[in-house]
Amino acid sequence: MRSLLAPGPILGVFLVLLVLGPQFLPEFHITLLNYIGLYALVALGLVLLTGVGGLTSFGQAAFVGLGAYATAWLTTATNLPAWMGLLANPWGGLVAGMVVTALVALLLGLLTLRLSGHYLPLGTIAWGISLYFLFGNLEFLGGHTGISGIPSLSLAGFELRDGRHYYYLIWLVLLMAVWLTRNLLDSRAGRSIRALKGGVVMAEAMGVDTGRAKLVIFVLAALFACLSGWLYAHLQRFVNPTPFGLHIGIEYLFMAVIGGAAHVWGALVGAAVITILKQWLQDLLPQLFGATGNFEVIAFGLLMIVVLHRARDGLWPWLARWVPEQKSALAGRLREAEPLPRRAVPSGGTRLLEVKDAVKQFGGLLANDRMNLAVSAGEILALIGPNGAGKSTLFNLITGVDPPTSGEVHFLGEAVAGLNSRTIARMGMSRTFQHVRLLAGMTVLENVALGAHMRGRHGVPVAMLHLERGEELRLLAEAARQCERVGLGMHLDDAAGSLPLGKQRIVEIARALAADPCLLLLDEPAAGLRFLEKQALAELLKQLRAEGMGVLLVEHDMEFVMDLADRVVVMEFGKKIAEGLPHEVQIDPAVIEAYLGGVE
Amino acid sequence: MNLKLKSLLAVAITAAFAAPVLADINVGVVVSATGPAASLGIPEKNTFALMPTTIGGEKVNFLILDDASDTTTAVKNTRKLLTEDKVDVIVGSTITPNSLAMIDIAAEAETPMISMAASSRIVDTANPKVKWVFKTPQNDIQMSTAIVEHMTSAGVKTVAFIGFADAYGEGWFNEFSKIAEARKLQIVANERYNRADTSVTGQVLKMMAAKPDAVLIAGSGTPAALPQKALKEKGYKGAFYQTHGVANKDFLRVCGKDCEGTFLPAGPVLIAAQLPADNPIKKVALDYVGKYEAAHGKGSTSTFGAHAWDAGLLLANAVPVALKKGKPGSKEFKLALRDALEGLKNITVSHGIVNMSAQDHLGFDQRARVMVKVENGDWKLIQ
Amino acid sequence: MDLQIALLLGQDGIVNGAIYALLSLALVLVFAVTRVIFIPQGEFVAYGALTLASLQAGQAPGTLWLLLGLGVAVTAIDAPHAWRQGSRQLAGLVARQLVYPLVMIGLVFGAAGAAPKDWPLLLQVLLALAVVVPLGPQLYRVAFQPIAEAPVLILLIVAVALHLALVGLGLLFFGAEGSRTPAFSEAAFEVGGLTITGQSLWVVGASAVLIVALYIFFGRSLYGKALRATAINRSGARLMGISTTLAGKLTFLLAAAIGALSGILIAPITTIYYDTGFLVGLKGFVGAIIGGLVSYPVAAAGALLVGLLESFSSFYASAFKEVIVFTLIIPVLVWRSLTSRHVEEEE
Repeated sequence: MRSLLAPGPILGVFLVLLVLGPQFLPEFHITLLNYIGLYALVALGLVLLTGVGGLTSFGQAAFVGLGAYATAWLTTATNLPAWMGLLANPWGGLVAGMVVTALVALLLGLLTLRLSGHYLPLGTIAWGISLYFLFGNLEFLGGHTGISGIPSLSLAGFELRDGRHYYYLIWLVLLMAVWLTRNLLDSRAGRSIRALKGGVVMAEAMGVDTGRAKLVIFVLAALFACLSGWLYAHLQRFVNPTPFGLHIGIEYLFMAVIGGAAHVWGALVGAAVITILKQWLQDLLPQLFGATGNFEVIAFGLLMIVVLHRARDGLWPWLARWVPEQKSALAGRLREAEPLPRRAVPSGGTRLLEVKDAVKQFGGLLANDRMNLAVSAGEILALIGPNGAGKSTLFNLITGVDPPTSGEVHFLGEAVAGLNSRTIARMGMSRTFQHVRLLAGMTVLENVALGAHMRGRHGVPVAMLHLERGEELRLLAEAARQCERVGLGMHLDDAAGSLPLGKQRIVEIARALAADPCLLLLDEPAAGLRFLEKQALAELLKQLRAEGMGVLLVEHDMEFVMDLADRVVVMEFGKKIAEGLPHEVQIDPAVIEAYLGGVE
Repeated sequence: MNLKLKSLLAVAITAAFAAPVLADINVGVVVSATGPAASLGIPEKNTFALMPTTIGGEKVNFLILDDASDTTTAVKNTRKLLTEDKVDVIVGSTITPNSLAMIDIAAEAETPMISMAASSRIVDTANPKVKWVFKTPQNDIQMSTAIVEHMTSAGVKTVAFIGFADAYGEGWFNEFSKIAEARKLQIVANERYNRADTSVTGQVLKMMAAKPDAVLIAGSGTPAALPQKALKEKGYKGAFYQTHGVANKDFLRVCGKDCEGTFLPAGPVLIAAQLPADNPIKKVALDYVGKYEAAHGKGSTSTFGAHAWDAGLLLANAVPVALKKGKPGSKEFKLALRDALEGLKNITVSHGIVNMSAQDHLGFDQRARVMVKVENGDWKLIQ
Repeated sequence: MDLQIALLLGQDGIVNGAIYALLSLALVLVFAVTRVIFIPQGEFVAYGALTLASLQAGQAPGTLWLLLGLGVAVTAIDAPHAWRQGSRQLAGLVARQLVYPLVMIGLVFGAAGAAPKDWPLLLQVLLALAVVVPLGPQLYRVAFQPIAEAPVLILLIVAVALHLALVGLGLLFFGAEGSRTPAFSEAAFEVGGLTITGQSLWVVGASAVLIVALYIFFGRSLYGKALRATAINRSGARLMGISTTLAGKLTFLLAAAIGALSGILIAPITTIYYDTGFLVGLKGFVGAIIGGLVSYPVAAAGALLVGLLESFSSFYASAFKEVIVFTLIIPVLVWRSLTSRHVEEEE
């Protein structure tokens, strides 16, 4: 029995049941399964968008509507212009629907994905409602009354008449979509999407174009919804605006969350549970209470609250407890991978980074006041100073998170002030964060592989088909190599969030190293480390220095700094108050004053 | 474990569909008892409980499902009734889009369907599938004609229209504008509002700017009172027309004195007691009103519930004919029932007198509508 | 369009906007303190208005039974804890959750000598509020307190589920048809050709008073400061001995009061249905979001903007009103999003 619990056989049994289902299930179960399939397809898009990408959308029903209306109009209109004749069939409807949806999603995405935080969900509500009322007010789309007489589908001359025929089509499409989505998430492009949840600053520092990643999942989710709408129109053979309103849009989100928004299979579970539960309540409640009132929606709402109280992450993780995790098929082959090409290492002593008179002003506050510093290849420069001295602000100026108010930043001889952090990262600057920014649910290996993002090139379409396995293997192998190097070899498959904080900082270093940088910016790497771990870290940094890497280090642990750094820059109140060799700085009166004053 | 899960799931799915009632004549009912059309669907739903439990000596089971005013659910419920409960006839749904969506499903299953929605599109015989579809409410066009006739005879030259931003308002405008054009009645404003809107000031100002002789409000139930109250408040002095959608007591309660003098077309059931004694509809309509009010209190009847009642009456007349040709549950019975429905002649129902034919699956004539005026907070027959 | 019409539309927009503004304040408040995007806010509008209408019609409002039902539920949940705290705690719990609803039921059924139908309007309003407002903290206790630390998305989905259940209950309690209540004031004034009704002054005036009252409450009072502290830093507030549970209940109490009062204020000028709340709440939500879910004045201004947009677009193209309102909201959102650049939110 043990082996039956592996994901493979379970999936096998599931597929066999799916294929055989129509042979023994009653007609109405097939009807329900058809609806489950259609809903799951939309919910799958939401898993990608909301669960994985962290973008909440209430508007998916409107995209379902676009798909449904496109084909409904093209297959029923009697006075189409001649050039559209080719599109006047379900397949033309599909193509037209997908194109229109992609364009609308692109436009809406460009407009609303710029919205941060809670502006986005409201934005989706806004265009969801707009599109809904637009469907109802356009006369050629049948107005509020709707379009009837939509033909059924034909596949290679075979007309799909019956629910059972549609069953196979719907579930084939759904399983394909699941397969493509799973492939995508298990790839370089997928990691960049999953990185969105770790925050824009982190993702951009890894070289991820977050704006583009958001747009990609937005359009993909819209296309899944559109596909569902196309199937819906031909199954239902009637469309009107009500199935594409805000309430249904909310229901799709419901399905994703109840099923487990962060999991591909959660979409299926959510769609199934909600559809079946509603059906069940419809049958059961009149028997309990008589037919006097309508208790379905009340009971449904209450049950959902109970479910969310008990299983916050949805039902899928709760089900999946019974099934061991499946390791990536590539995991066993990491050793065979050919190493990734490396960047040319600047020779020792080359000036890597130069900050000249950098000023950063927040309103009336001068966070950085004419700061100057420089880091060369093969050198460790420590930046120290009391809390609030402006060290993190300076980090942000250098890495392109926030442009300086005035002054210059040169990296490898080029002016980089005003460039975005993605571009700067691509030039060979990597960083860690003071507050650890890992993706807690992802494994250590995947987190570190995110660091190697810029060293791969394959995009979303290739990833969805898994045609990039060679490159993926090399990226993972590189990540594994960096993990070994920092002493995390034991933890490759552990969830990053399960490690102690000190170890998580080391994961961040490995992630930064995976980008193959020539300059490393470390923000308090030794905080939370035990003595032996600190020693190991110091050894690692010394070795990197010997290889020609430049390191800029912000650290509070003086012993660690003094033992390691070649030079030290001391900041206070946004200004540089001292610079020099460690032992010189230690006896500098201004520094002592700053630190003692700070302690006092 | 997996198998156990699967079997659990299987049990859950099976439990989801309690064993269908397999005895006798099964009537599947789809009503919009929740959602935007609830005020129409609830009295319909209540009416089924009042219907006789036997027809022609056979037991009748009404299986009532709510579609929440949503087409997807309406279609799903129809499929359930047809495939799980093997119903002999479908009654429903309450609103036009849902009924239109159900036509294909009923026709495919070769099962007769009696819609309770207004649009004439539902029984447009140009669609071959409509062979299986009948309906009980008057067509919008019939009611529109009554209004236009009343307007022209009252000397109204210009009219402003405001209706629900849904299939109801849209259907009314389409039919009304056609007839108005033919009778040289000028529509000077065409506005929409949502059922749950809290204000219609914008629409009202625009209508008043067009200075119409009369205003037609196409809404159903209490929401139809809002434009009228707003127009009165802004000092509009012209004539008011409402549609038969408002014909229930709640409308009068909410609209109050602002609705005095309003005209509307309605089914005769609304003013059944005022009908002349020789009108055959009077007895049938009063019978329904009596039964409904006995169960739900005085003044609780709505003309929408009567549409459901009429569907029951059609069945009561058609089923005995069909029973001669086949057993309930069989294909033959369903076909015979369809034929019997199409062959109904001179059947008196609460809304009129039905004469079906292959071209007319509604079967109403002029007797199915009366003009009514609101007077002293009650309906008053004026024709 | 002439000036007269513009003024009338403006007046209409401001009256509606005032209600949206009140709701947006409640939404901002609830979100800031509990991180719940409180979709059911609108239900309190409908419950408040329809409870009052039921009382005036001489019927027992269904909300009464909800109050008792939730009271029983809260008692069942909290009794073990209160028992351990001592008999005074337990007595307090029973008094609040069981005795209080029973007293309300008694009042509705005429225990005070006269049925509420015959009471003066003010007392009817107070009774309606007394029935509906405690539902707020009760719902917080039952639905949100157990998952107070969950991510925003989960809280949102629970709020949606609660909204579904409450709308279903609303249909059950009040039926599908709407109701109106008599105006607080039948007065009407002529100002420069504009008729201003007493009731619309009530709406705008009460909104303004409430907004100022909230401002003072948060600026001056101890509870207000505690709530603000919770809004700024939850764990910090807890360290300072401010209970997030108390803050949550207090917030929901305020939100329910604002919602129910809004409903009672507009019930004389429009018809309220069991499901009116959702769209009204949504428009308040738009205002709240424009205020970034943090700023009260901007939220109120945003809500007024929505009211005006709605009023003018219903004049120009009523069929496309919602399309226009919600499409025009998008650029406003983009502008707000770009100008209020804030530190990345982390969950």
